[in-house]
Amino acid sequence: MAEDLVLDTAIRDWVLIPLSVVMVLIGILRYFVSKLMRSSQVPDLKIVKEGQVIVRARNLRAGANFIPPKSFRSRRVYFNNEENGLLFVPKGQAQNAQAQMFSDPNMAMDMMKKNLSMIIPQTLTFAWVNFFFSGFVAAKIPFPLTQRFRSMLQNGIDLSTVDVSYVSSRSWYFLNLFGLRGLFSLILGEENAMDDTQRMMQMSGFGFDPTKSLSAEKDGLDIVQHEWALPKFEHRAEVVLKKLIR
Amino acid sequence: MAGHGDSSSSQKKSSEVMNDVPTFSAENLQNNMKVIYYSRTFMSIIGGVIAGILGFTGFMGFIFYFLVMAVTSIGLIAKSKFSVHSYFDSWNRIILDGFMGGLMSFVLFWTFAYDIVHIF
Repeated sequence: MAEDLVLDTAIRDWVLIPLSVVMVLIGILRYFVSKLMRSSQVPDLKIVKEGQVIVRARNLRAGANFIPPKSFRSRRVYFNNEENGLLFVPKGQAQNAQAQMFSDPNMAMDMMKKNLSMIIPQTLTFAWVNFFFSGFVAAKIPFPLTQRFRSMLQNGIDLSTVDVSYVSSRSWYFLNLFGLRGLFSLILGEENAMDDTQRMMQMSGFGFDPTKSLSAEKDGLDIVQHEWALPKFEHRAEVVLKKLIR
Repeated sequence: MAGHGDSSSSQKKSSEVMNDVPTFSAENLQNNMKVIYYSRTFMSIIGGVIAGILGFTGFMGFIFYFLVMAVTSIGLIAKSKFSVHSYFDSWNRIILDGFMGGLMSFVLFWTFAYDIVHIF
């Protein structure tokens, strides 16, 4: 059963290598096409403002221990007070923002473009592989697999005696699909890897609500325990300088 | 690997001095993590090709992968001059991060090299 099959070298030259090369090239092509199609959105003033406020509040929270207690408290009140604090959101506005996001056609269009640029090449490649390269063993995976993988990996090979580690070209396609992600992040830079995660974020957070992050930041700022670090620093400086002299 | 570790060395020196107050710059930290990710991916691809050419099968290959990752970790630690905490906020970052991410790349290149060299 586990006898070594001898595969034709033509399979290597005309299936294995071309398939990998094509998938790499398609990945690169997709990257540049999606770069071209990316429309430069005109940022909404209100959203940008809120984003900047969040960044400022986060900076305050990160650097809280480096300013005196009084300054920290005054800044916190500036962000958090219930009348006109920057992070305070009146109850009625929360719904409004979400509805506005939904009604914006530009955003839906942009998302659709991104999704299409991902799905179309994949479907096309898959169809191409299925059409031309089905019905024969194309590769051997160098580790043993259980029988359960047979229907998945040996699609189109109707021999029950072939060892499961011999796989058809379709599984080679899937292996490429998942394995080349690392290679793409190396040759195309971080932008490609980030693109995918961003896409995920956009998909899951369709009705993304900026007011929610505002109030989350407000809560975070509220529970910060302030402890001024500077009084201890003279002592530290003494230790460090003494070490330098020695 | 050396080329990938380069950019991290000049950064985050300042936090070495501050031990009791945790201070780190988020951007530099993120950059360092990115360097780890790149070097791990790079090493898993190279390791896959080597494993394929040497003809490892079955468990040997996966052991080889763990070995390569361990070597990468040691290399990264050496690159940070054995003071991990001046570049990363915990040991887990340098040892565990991106460990499983490179596995698919490793398997792909392992299979590729193995098939080309040994099967056909």
